[in-house]
Amino acid sequence: MRFISLMLPLTSPFFYDAVNTSGVPRLTKFYSPIAHSAQTLVEKIFSLVSSRQPGLCNFLDAPELETFLKPKDGDGEKLRVVYRNYATLYFVFVVDHAESELGILDLIQVFVESLDSAFENVCELDLVFHFDEAHHILAEVIQGGLVLETNVNEIDRAVQEAARARKESYASANPLSLGGGGAVGSRSAGLQSPLGWLAGRLTGVGAR
Amino acid sequence: MRGLTQFIADIRGARVRELEEKRINKEMANIRKRFKDGNLDGYQKKKYVAKVIFTYILGYKVDVGHMEAVNLISSSKYSEKQIGYLAVTLLMHENSDFLRLVVNSIRKDLNDNNEIHNCLALHAIANVGSQEMAEALSEDVHRLLISPTSENFVRKKAALTLLRLYRKHPEVIPAQEWALRIVSIMDDPDLGVVLSVASLILALAQDHPEAYSIAYQKAVDRLNRVPIPWLQIKLLRLLQIYPPSDDPTLQVMLQEVLQTIMNNCNEPSRNVQHNNAQHAVLFEAINLAIHLDGNSPLVNTAAVLLARFISSKETNVRYLGLDTMAHLAARTDNLEAIKTHQGTIILSLRDKDISVRRRALDLLYSMCDVDNSELIVGELLRYLKVADYGLREEMVLKIAILTEKYASTYKWYVDTILELLSAAGDHVGEEVWYRVVQIVTNTEDLQAYAAKVVFEYLKSPSSHESLVKVGGYILGEYGHLIANEPGYSPIEQFQVLHAKSQFCMAPTRALLLSTYIKWVNVFPEIKPQLVNVFERYRHVLDVDLQQRACEFYALAMRPEEDEMLQNVCEEIPPFPPRESALINRLNKKHADSEDKRPWAHSNGTLERQPSKVIRKPGTIDTNGHGSNSNGDISQEIASSLAGLDLTSSPLAIQSPSSLPDGSAALAAKGIPRLSAGPNIDRWFDKLLYTPEGVLYEDVQIQIGIKSKYQGPVGQVAVYVGNKMSAPLTSFTTALHTEEGEALTASFIKIAPSMLAPRTQIQQIVQVECKKVFRKPPILVVSFIAGAHQAIAVRLPIVITKFLEGVKLGPADFFERWKLIGGPPREAQSIFPIALDATGHIDLAKQRQVVAGHGFQILEGIDPNPSNLVGAGIVHTAVDGKVGCLLRLEPNREAKLSRVTIRSTSEDVASEVQKLVQKPLAADPSAPADKRTL
Repeated sequence: MRFISLMLPLTSPFFYDAVNTSGVPRLTKFYSPIAHSAQTLVEKIFSLVSSRQPGLCNFLDAPELETFLKPKDGDGEKLRVVYRNYATLYFVFVVDHAESELGILDLIQVFVESLDSAFENVCELDLVFHFDEAHHILAEVIQGGLVLETNVNEIDRAVQEAARARKESYASANPLSLGGGGAVGSRSAGLQSPLGWLAGRLTGVGAR
Repeated sequence: MRGLTQFIADIRGARVRELEEKRINKEMANIRKRFKDGNLDGYQKKKYVAKVIFTYILGYKVDVGHMEAVNLISSSKYSEKQIGYLAVTLLMHENSDFLRLVVNSIRKDLNDNNEIHNCLALHAIANVGSQEMAEALSEDVHRLLISPTSENFVRKKAALTLLRLYRKHPEVIPAQEWALRIVSIMDDPDLGVVLSVASLILALAQDHPEAYSIAYQKAVDRLNRVPIPWLQIKLLRLLQIYPPSDDPTLQVMLQEVLQTIMNNCNEPSRNVQHNNAQHAVLFEAINLAIHLDGNSPLVNTAAVLLARFISSKETNVRYLGLDTMAHLAARTDNLEAIKTHQGTIILSLRDKDISVRRRALDLLYSMCDVDNSELIVGELLRYLKVADYGLREEMVLKIAILTEKYASTYKWYVDTILELLSAAGDHVGEEVWYRVVQIVTNTEDLQAYAAKVVFEYLKSPSSHESLVKVGGYILGEYGHLIANEPGYSPIEQFQVLHAKSQFCMAPTRALLLSTYIKWVNVFPEIKPQLVNVFERYRHVLDVDLQQRACEFYALAMRPEEDEMLQNVCEEIPPFPPRESALINRLNKKHADSEDKRPWAHSNGTLERQPSKVIRKPGTIDTNGHGSNSNGDISQEIASSLAGLDLTSSPLAIQSPSSLPDGSAALAAKGIPRLSAGPNIDRWFDKLLYTPEGVLYEDVQIQIGIKSKYQGPVGQVAVYVGNKMSAPLTSFTTALHTEEGEALTASFIKIAPSMLAPRTQIQQIVQVECKKVFRKPPILVVSFIAGAHQAIAVRLPIVITKFLEGVKLGPADFFERWKLIGGPPREAQSIFPIALDATGHIDLAKQRQVVAGHGFQILEGIDPNPSNLVGAGIVHTAVDGKVGCLLRLEPNREAKLSRVTIRSTSEDVASEVQKLVQKPLAADPSAPADKRTL
């Protein structure tokens, strides 16, 4: 796909509550330059997505976003927003037409499953404390705005591989250290969230 | 990294924004100091850079850490490298100066033996690939992609990185040169690699359709093997950028694939996820089916499926159903299938989801035609009044266009447009009312009616400014046509119009002033009121209005007999016919997207018109050699006397090194440079007059030919043998015909993608001669054996293969010979010949060549026994049969021979003459007795 312009799981602190609360982005990645500040763009997308009722389709034409994402060469590429809601998070992709909408929807699921398997029951806090890891996982799914891999097992394997390499290099540098340098599976107990991932299992996490 | 975790926890613990900022400022100050002091070990650098990244992610501006990130990249420890790369991809944009510093580190990682380092480097290039990086590193990336030792996950990333570089800096990538090598990866056993490469090819093929044309065949083959959904979608899209293939084999295979996909969707699906994937494939398959032929039975099946989708309970499916149906409506000639669902579609305009409503709008626009236009436009007008604001402007444009395009009566047109103006005034662009004026001015029958209707609209207490403008214009020009009817008297017209004036902006008022001056001319009875208005406007602040008023006042006050006013207020002549500004506007609104599939999906405005597709590779006469080969015959004969190989076009005689641009032209057509060599020419020449033999051979493969012809059709069996003890992978065969309308050649089936060691495969080529042709088709055999190789040779399929001998008596022969007469229907040449070992003319060979070309040798016609006379008929499917007579007169003493061909077609004569001469002519450079033929 050409330029998934950005992807940002947004969180609304309260599930479909408090429309005025702006979403705090947990993971954002822009694959093409943006014309205005990222902050306002995220707010705009959040307001677009969060105002939609459940049960509507996962696709959205977004002429409003074009001013933000206008490519410099000015081709009037139409953007579409594809989003999906998991518990407290919205996963939002703003995409052009290089992939089918259902494909993107599938990709979101793939990404979430990969996160889930890498973090063993991922929760929102994982994305905060292990932002680097989340980015690495994203990099295994999408590279430079293009779909890289759609097979969860393959992604998993690549993530594990990287984690292993990290651990090894860390261990060789710090022979006395007990803990690994890797983030995966090494959440400190105090931050452990008992909350599960998929809808229904998660009730909400503090705003920040 | 405990420090990092603590930092994050601190920030999360901050209750208010100020505390958070304080914490961050403190940390940044600390980091700045640490970096300044220097002497940090890798771990510390990593930790601080990670903190900087986190701060950046929170939305704060950061100005430290760039240099340290650059240093981390060259660290030997993966954990540090990874953070370094993350910082580079997040903190730096493609024009950042720091990127210069990382090019070398990235190159080092690209060439590293450790694959995961390769991956990090590729990922960084894909994310921030600058011009400089593209120039410096694209070769390395390409190498990683094609290297047989690369791991699959590296190749996958390399393909996408290359794609990203190509998108950003297309001039850096030699796309045509790499075409065959890249396409050959489509046969890779790893589906992930194939998926990435398919994305790459999809982009490259849009810009270089001919160079990548072999991808079409590969895609069809791959689809046949039922790949994963993502790949299926990619391939189905790839097929849509090419025009439908004429190859019957591919057509049949593709039909089967599409049929299977459509049948599959009838099965109940396992879960939502699976369902999504299946639908995604299905929609793409439908799009392809529509692209192939908008009226095929497959498309009818698709229409039935789509009808089911648009009333589905799932919103996503409804959305895509409408979207795809709009595509169908734009491409098919038969809208009946869609029209039966008109009710459902109109209902979708009231769907609770705006995304669905938009699609329904697009679809209604696409499916509108003369029969249903009144209904659809009516519905759209009704919906317009309650539509979302975001939709209105587009709706207005579309309604205006449809109304104009499908207007059955002028009355309806005027009614609808005026209703549109009054219903959605704010959203009506200037173009809409300009267009109304244009049409009313150019249509005399409409003028009186339009004046009346607009007058009625103006009577309503509030009318929109656009309406006032139209009113001002139309009443000014045509108000006099209705002035005699009760209720439309000049004074009433004036009162109604002038009442609106005070609510209007200056430009509209200016227009009204112009209306008034026109009325001064035609309605003298209300002149006092009009002059009164001018007088008042002479004192307004707006300069334009003031000037206008002054001028008009002066004009109106001139004496009665003055003709000035009349001349000025002459009726406006019709506008020259011009394209509707509305469509331009709509097109501008959705400027062409990158998506070059013939129907621009993103357009939202699917115009019902033949799509512009890329021209077919086979039928294109590229500028370069077209003139050369089809050029004047005398030149060709002259060069044939010079002993040049002419049957294979000028392409064949280009020596590889001397003409680099020639090979580029070939590469542009997706044909590798023709393999050359004395043996290859000899094999080819021999096959011209024999039905079977070797066509090509080297240490790796051997290609043999067996052929049989019947009338205008023939079957050529091509045998390809692998002589090595290793398999040939990504084995591909393709045919290129340069004169597609004269000769068709296609394989009956696609070759298997692997050729086992020491085995041979047979590929049947179906040939049909439609007209006289000159250029034999080119066979391209490509494979990977260590490196990617391609062999391109001309197949010995020439016009004389379709020649059938006829027996003629001397009387018949001479009658025909004379009937045909001399040039241009006679082709003659004199050429040197070689004598056999005994110093005599090699009569047996002469006979063999003439008979091998299909002539019936006629005995007893020429008194000289060493002369040969023959006759035959060339069969062509389109141009019918062409008679052809031959006379060959070898002369032993002069070591020369004269060949004369007379034919009812001059093209045939010259072509046959060259073909017959070719195997007989002695190579002037070679000693005669050494020639072995």
